[in-house]
Amino acid sequence: MKGSVRIIKKELKRVFGNKRLIFSMYIMPVILMFVIYGFMGKMMGGMQKDIVEHTSQVYVVDAPTGMKETFDACGYSNGADITYISADDFAKQKAELEFQLKESQIDLIVKCDADFYKKFESYASPADAIPSITLCYNSTSNYSSRAYNVFNSVAAPAYKTALQAERFGDLNKLVVFNVNEPELFEYESKKGTQFLSMLLPYMIVLMLYTSAMSITVDAIAGEKERGTMASMLLAPINRSEIVVGKIVSLAILSGLSALCYAVSMIFAIPLMGEGMGEELNLANVFGIIEIIELVVIVLFIDLLFVSILIFVSILAKDSKTASTYAAPIMLVVIAAGIATMFSGQDTHTIVQMAIPVYGNALVIQSICNGGVEFLGFLASVGGLIAGIALFTIFTTKAFNSEKIMFNA
Amino acid sequence: MIEIKDLTKIYKLSNRRKIELKTKDTHKVAANNISLVARPGEIYGLLGPNGAGKTTTLRCVATLLKPTKGNVTVCGFDTVKSGKEVRNKIGFLTNEIKLDPNFTPDYMFDFFGGLHGVDPETLAKRKEILFEKFGINEFKNKKIEEFSTGMKQKAGIVVSLVHDPEVIIFDEPTNGLDIITARVVTDFLKELRDSGKTIIISTHIMSEAEKLCDRIGLIIDGKKVVEGTLPEIIAGEQAEDLEDAFFKVYKRTTQGND
Repeated sequence: MKGSVRIIKKELKRVFGNKRLIFSMYIMPVILMFVIYGFMGKMMGGMQKDIVEHTSQVYVVDAPTGMKETFDACGYSNGADITYISADDFAKQKAELEFQLKESQIDLIVKCDADFYKKFESYASPADAIPSITLCYNSTSNYSSRAYNVFNSVAAPAYKTALQAERFGDLNKLVVFNVNEPELFEYESKKGTQFLSMLLPYMIVLMLYTSAMSITVDAIAGEKERGTMASMLLAPINRSEIVVGKIVSLAILSGLSALCYAVSMIFAIPLMGEGMGEELNLANVFGIIEIIELVVIVLFIDLLFVSILIFVSILAKDSKTASTYAAPIMLVVIAAGIATMFSGQDTHTIVQMAIPVYGNALVIQSICNGGVEFLGFLASVGGLIAGIALFTIFTTKAFNSEKIMFNA
Repeated sequence: MIEIKDLTKIYKLSNRRKIELKTKDTHKVAANNISLVARPGEIYGLLGPNGAGKTTTLRCVATLLKPTKGNVTVCGFDTVKSGKEVRNKIGFLTNEIKLDPNFTPDYMFDFFGGLHGVDPETLAKRKEILFEKFGINEFKNKKIEEFSTGMKQKAGIVVSLVHDPEVIIFDEPTNGLDIITARVVTDFLKELRDSGKTIIISTHIMSEAEKLCDRIGLIIDGKKVVEGTLPEIIAGEQAEDLEDAFFKVYKRTTQGND
């Protein structure tokens, strides 16, 4: 295996001896990650702040008795600029107001039934009419959507409660029983990890694949294309030594690249959360066991991706063809990552976990959700090792094939 | 010593290749029952037009291709059964096999020296001699991508000889080189021959074969049609020079094929 070690050293030197490559592979992505997430957080935070601080332009048509007073009392009037108009005036301005709603010049029209209050007062049996309110809003406008939601959650319940009090006096008669605040039984560190466990497996497999793809395609198909691979085949070493040397060195390079992405994500996502006013701190989620499990699984996924990509790259005549071979595999990786997002189970079978990529994403998901069964973890790593071994054998066979290596 | 016995190499043609070669045949016989021996202390030249099978023959000797029939031995080792041992005995150079342009000749020399198991002391000595001879010292720490074609070829020669091989295989040794570099290469080949190395080259340049080769094998359409020293071939074909002899043989062979 001396030959493999020399090849590993050479491949590492190719990257680490080139300042431009170090910058583009390992420094640039970190900077971009911080800039993108920071910018996204700022933009999203700014957008939300703008929506919340916006004073809704609301028209209330034919407001029944007590509605205005209730809106003032519950504070709804403070966040909205409300114009109360009669049904007749509305009929005259209907087309204009609806146009303004479409154009986002006003945010909400509240149309109350004619004789709303009378219907309320005269209600005696189920056969009687129940008064209603119709809300008109523009779902494509953020301001209008918020005005609609705030009216439904603040103004309408407040007026309903006021009329219920008027009808029944003691409102507790209607409440019947209360559901108390829940008593929570959960690990403090796992709070709010659902989002993470849904997103992280997908992000990890995708990042590992894209990192491996960008490095491997050129290192294998590019070398074949440039004629530098053949010089290696003339060396007095076994072809399997070349394959192992290539797999290990490229796994190190792409693994480091993925690590840069991951570390910058851990620090950049809270930056986005800060901008949005939410706490998204990945560093608090994992203990030492989870970190070790994650590192092991990520390492083997990386090796699997590199061994698959080396195999498809060696089959290709040039880098361009290799990229076209690698692209459909990326779709499979994305599909496997997305499938775990919606797997909807807390526990998974050993067989599921042993399926390369999909099973590994499930394991990462379980790690995020509070830990993975050891047997499942072993099955997952076992599946990966089997995949790596299989593709190493395929690649060695390809290296021995003169048709593949020399188009003979 | 190189011994080629009844070497036949048949390629299966892909549909694209069939279109390129304008043929409906599913197979192409690149080397057809070739036998030859190249001995230590001589330069054996494979002379023939493009596509005659010279490169295929040399690639079989270099273990890059496996013979369909027949066998090739280098210093007693079979190229199929003992590929690793054969690769340790040979230095193979062709325009299609290049050095990684991201590295310096200095690093490439050490890298391939390591793969061939050359000890550091011997490696340093050989580097000093070969770099001096080919004028690489000045550029040894420059990346190969910055080199001219001639410099790249020189670096390639130097690296292919890092392990002081007993057998040297050169496919079109002066192809693409300027007249000065070509002279350096041919002089060096003569020097290697005089030191007892076995050398086999392929060429389609008659003057090169005349000046350089001790024995010549004419290859046409995958077959070795004539073999001998330069005077033997010229006398045998009653020709004025090698070029004249080649065209006589070529005409006879292709007419015979028709």
